[in-house]
Amino acid sequence: MIHLAHVTKTFGATRAVDDVSLEVRPGEIVGLVGENGAGKTTLMRIAAGEIAADAGTLEREGRAELVHQHFMLVDALTIAENLALTHRGFRFTTRRMIEREAQQIIDGSGIELRDAARRVAELSVGERSKLELIKAIARKPATLILDEPTSVLTPTESEELFRVMRRLSAEGTAVVFISHKLPEVLAVAERIVVMRGGRVVVESATSETNAQVLADAMVGSPVSRFPGIPVAGQLGNRATGQPGRGEITAIVGVAGNGQAELAARLRDELPDAGHIPEDRTRDGVIAEMTIAENLALKTKRWSPRDAARHAERMIALYSIRAEGPLQRAGDLSGGNQQKVVLARELEWIKSPSSALRAPSPRRRGEGLSTGTSRVPLSPRAGRGWREAPGEGLHLIAAEPARGLDIEATRFVHEQLRAAATAGASILLITSDLDEAFELADAIQVIYRGQLSEPMTPAEASQRVASLMAGVA
Amino acid sequence: MRRVLVAVIAAVAAVLLLAFSGALFGHSPIALLAILIRGSIGSRFALEGTLLKSVPLLLTGLSVVIAFRAGVWNIGGEGQFIVGALAALAAARFGVIASLAAAILAGAAWASIASLMRLWRNAPEVLTTILLNFTAIHLLGWCVNGPLRERAAQYPQTDLAAAALPVVGGVHAGTLIALAASVFAWWMLYRTVEGLRLRATGLNPNAARWAGIPVRSQIVRAMAISGGAAGLAGGIELLGVTHRLFERFAAGYGYSGIAVALLAQLHPLATIASAAFFGALVTGAGELQRTADISAGVATFGQAVVILVLIVFEHVRSSR
Repeated sequence: MIHLAHVTKTFGATRAVDDVSLEVRPGEIVGLVGENGAGKTTLMRIAAGEIAADAGTLEREGRAELVHQHFMLVDALTIAENLALTHRGFRFTTRRMIEREAQQIIDGSGIELRDAARRVAELSVGERSKLELIKAIARKPATLILDEPTSVLTPTESEELFRVMRRLSAEGTAVVFISHKLPEVLAVAERIVVMRGGRVVVESATSETNAQVLADAMVGSPVSRFPGIPVAGQLGNRATGQPGRGEITAIVGVAGNGQAELAARLRDELPDAGHIPEDRTRDGVIAEMTIAENLALKTKRWSPRDAARHAERMIALYSIRAEGPLQRAGDLSGGNQQKVVLARELEWIKSPSSALRAPSPRRRGEGLSTGTSRVPLSPRAGRGWREAPGEGLHLIAAEPARGLDIEATRFVHEQLRAAATAGASILLITSDLDEAFELADAIQVIYRGQLSEPMTPAEASQRVASLMAGVA
Repeated sequence: MRRVLVAVIAAVAAVLLLAFSGALFGHSPIALLAILIRGSIGSRFALEGTLLKSVPLLLTGLSVVIAFRAGVWNIGGEGQFIVGALAALAAARFGVIASLAAAILAGAAWASIASLMRLWRNAPEVLTTILLNFTAIHLLGWCVNGPLRERAAQYPQTDLAAAALPVVGGVHAGTLIALAASVFAWWMLYRTVEGLRLRATGLNPNAARWAGIPVRSQIVRAMAISGGAAGLAGGIELLGVTHRLFERFAAGYGYSGIAVALLAQLHPLATIASAAFFGALVTGAGELQRTADISAGVATFGQAVVILVLIVFEHVRSSR
């Protein structure tokens, strides 16, 4: 049980949480929704006792566990060792014992995670988030708080998570589910709390509200936020599975089936293309550098003044919420960091030195191989790209909208669509099927390092689930 | 601003600890402090001594600044310093400029051996550069006892170098070169794409790679530049101060560069002040040895204190 009364928390000039009162009762699932920076995470960190509020009171019965959006794992250690870190006091033990205990903890959590002897560094993002969850559940908290847990999970994995949440709630655990994805919250939560600008703007039983009301409350103005499945673009000759000019091909799949390897391979094969990495805090921005410096990483020339001027333009153009070009990128919210990466990569492929400005007829038979070939791609395909960068992909975006709020997600999607309209061929690697169907002209499924034939979205909607599960 | 404060605290702490630890051996801390100050900046002679020590420290400090900024552990300043001096000696008959150029190239080449070992066998620079120090030290020992031994064959040292740096206003021209080098290093790091990418590589090699920066070659280049600076330090020390080589020629300048760079918080211009401080510390310690019979080795103790204080501050900062 958690009872927060008139809680306020200020960081610098921003009031992250502003006079919020909230109760979480044993055995209920509360959905906490809001855009990036609405104060959800701050509020829950106060509830979990991680940080202290400036004003207001907190009553808590039993332990509250907050599962973070960012991973709190030791990469160099195995799954078992990471679990042992949180669950064992100091006593002598063996690797075998640790692994056996880890297996028990994993089995007890009801979450599927194989081979506890693997190092965390080798795990996919989805698997890491599962491990975080197992860690938290094993501590038997009275309240479990999940911060954006589904952003890295596939639909099947999300379903698995919801089952675990329902089971825990049936056993009397209170669950707080922080999310941007309204359909999920509507499906699993009994009560929904919407935050905006540090305040609670809506609190309602799930049965008494709907997606449109909640979305309007999140954004603050009644706008249509849920475009339907888009019209499928005309399918070109896509025998090779490579998007043509102006097309977006989505590669969907359960995390850990070779997406990371594919993206890394393409990064090394196609230095002339733009690349949006999956893990933006680790691979996207350099936290210690300024926005201006981050934006300049791909330029040929650099002077602080020009870079600052360029950054001013980008901040306006990509509506990056920042104090100015000289703010540290690490101080930006996740969504704004992603906009910095997006700005850098899109401006790069638009720049005169890049492939997008020098169109040449596309050669067939080169590109992503399909069917039986595995990722890493065949060397022949790789050579083809290296020799002719102008004919290959322009942008490879991995999970470009992961963890972003509705507004930022829509912005990123608009930018990708605009780039495609301008003639870029884009490969979208995503575990978010909604995103794939919304943006892509063609969809391929990746399963255990193999790519399926490209499908039209209509075709894909029938077959994606079974292909992703490897049963087709 | 806070970083400057931390550096000043570290420096003051080093000097005070040095003086007060003397109390353990029956010396008056105040008297020791007075000797340290008099011996380092108290007279024209002392000041010249401080300046003379500061020049090689400034260059080996810059060498470490560049390497650490790129995220590569070049602990090989000592070896690069020595091979730089050896090359300078060999090229001295072609004039000062050729001699210093040879010193830079030799330092860069010596550092690049570590890069090659990284590329071929993935050997960590932190080990290979230290091992290359021993190699260089023994190479120097062999040279001064064997092929390069002075014609008089009296001491294990070489003959005088065929060239010498001109003296400008009481100090050798190497002083100006070192100052110019720190301005150049600042310009390179903060005003060129090369520097931007070098810093990006050091701060976050993952993100640098995703942004299209060829991380490996970036590190190889940074290592070469770093080695070049240490080699130049050796060349200047030879042509401006010692004029010949002998076994203990390097005298720990390469290693001291690490303390210099850390106290300067890896900033090229702050390295000037940092090198001057350590130069004064070493010179003052010499005076301690002469008048108070305390080993000049206490200067090393001072360096250690500086590094420890900085580490403690860094830890406090990062754990908050």
